[in-house]
Amino acid sequence: MVKNDNGQLYTIEGFAAALIMVMTAYLVVNATSVYTAGDTHINDMQLEALGSDALKMMDVAPNRTDAETPLQGIIRTDNYAGFTTMLLNYTNESGSGPRHDIQFNASYTCRDSNNLTHRIQFANSRELTGGEHTVRATKWVIVNKPVCLMVGQDRAVLLEVLLWRD
Amino acid sequence: MTDNSGALSIDFIAGFTIFLIAFIWVLSMIPGLLIGLQAFTIDYDAVAYRTGVMLVEDPGWPASPPWESQQNFSVTRFGLAVSRETPNILSQEKVDRFFANTSEYGTFAYPDDYHQRIIFGDYPYRFNISIFDMERNQRLFLSQSPPLPEGYGYIRRLVKIKGLTNATIDESYISSHPYINSDNASHHEFSILVNNSGLNMQKNLSYEIDPARESITVNITDIRSTLFNQFNAGSVNITLTQINIYKVDAGIMTLVRTFNTPYIDQNSSTTQPPVEVNNNVSLKFTPAFFDILNAGSSPVYINLSFNLSTGGYPGLSYQDHFLNNTWSSPFNYDYNPANVTQPRLRDAMVEVAIW
Repeated sequence: MVKNDNGQLYTIEGFAAALIMVMTAYLVVNATSVYTAGDTHINDMQLEALGSDALKMMDVAPNRTDAETPLQGIIRTDNYAGFTTMLLNYTNESGSGPRHDIQFNASYTCRDSNNLTHRIQFANSRELTGGEHTVRATKWVIVNKPVCLMVGQDRAVLLEVLLWRD
Repeated sequence: MTDNSGALSIDFIAGFTIFLIAFIWVLSMIPGLLIGLQAFTIDYDAVAYRTGVMLVEDPGWPASPPWESQQNFSVTRFGLAVSRETPNILSQEKVDRFFANTSEYGTFAYPDDYHQRIIFGDYPYRFNISIFDMERNQRLFLSQSPPLPEGYGYIRRLVKIKGLTNATIDESYISSHPYINSDNASHHEFSILVNNSGLNMQKNLSYEIDPARESITVNITDIRSTLFNQFNAGSVNITLTQINIYKVDAGIMTLVRTFNTPYIDQNSSTTQPPVEVNNNVSLKFTPAFFDILNAGSSPVYINLSFNLSTGGYPGLSYQDHFLNNTWSSPFNYDYNPANVTQPRLRDAMVEVAIW
């Protein structure tokens, strides 16, 4: 028998040391899988570019002789279903890249004769719960419509679309 | 034994072994931990975004004459937009040249030619660029690009492709216009006017007809039906003798060149006049053709000369009323949808992947 075994490593300490190291490694691995600010920025940028492009293309008339762009027609006639179909067609059009399962919430804003802004909820594919990580795409659209309690004439409304991935 | 201070106990060996195994295992995980910290993914996405912006928002360089009308070595930078003022509106000519859909000037080599003109930098990036024409359900891509690996940088841009214009002068169109008002003659002239000053009036470049930037096509069909004497029409030889191009500068009309590449009777290759025509003549003018004319805003007249004969080529001269607008007005290639199929913007999607 060893008379003085102070400081000697026994099996139970070996187990304890191994467990501590493995636990530490587990915590570190989990910590680094959290998105860094740089990564989320890139994803936001991709979604924002896509949303911005979609609104821009919706506001371009296919033919010179068209009286209005598809987006102008949609806002003028409050065609919520048409907006949903068209926007999701653009954003979810599948290519070779990652699948875009994108949801949106759209509204537009205008000023009335007293220079007060009015926000009008327009269309959405899903209700916002507050937990979504959204990006914003906006587009000024000229529409001929009696919005904001004024007589019908060409006016600018700011269409604002919040986009997020499922 | 009373002195065993140099011996290891079983208990110690077991504990140390467990510690060592766990230590080695954790050590082996360290390289994996650093993968999440490397910057390449972010870099790839940024390069993809930059490339996408240049492709869809820039017309490329040289701008005039445009790069798509130049030899490969003259092209400095790719860009598919119609102009700087029309981001996301792409030119059909530029798209075709970029994706080597046309053979007139040869193709660009992947990856070097593309790397120098759109990716830039010293890092040997690999890339895959494609465009999906939603309306035509057609995908164009760089044919030699390798398959996508894991972890590539990516961007997609939604765009519209500005379609080309064309005009068809057929039997119904001819019968509703004064295009058979000549004398009873064997020689006939038919003129087409490309009024550049009128075409320049359209200030929105997305819908502008610009023959120096985009091909224009004129199809003349049902030519035989314009013979007044239809009883003999089947035996008459119609010969397209020449296609002359005139330019009007300061009120003076000058012959600038001839056009020698018409498509006759839906042949897939061109035939130089004089050539016998059964029913159809198709004229496709490339931007390079109009660019050489240096017409600016001067009107350009395209004059087709026909000869009628019988009894085989060259045969005997035959006289009849025929397609001829010498004494009326030329066919105007303009913004009238009844005359010309106007530029139409088609939905498309550009995808850029970098790794």
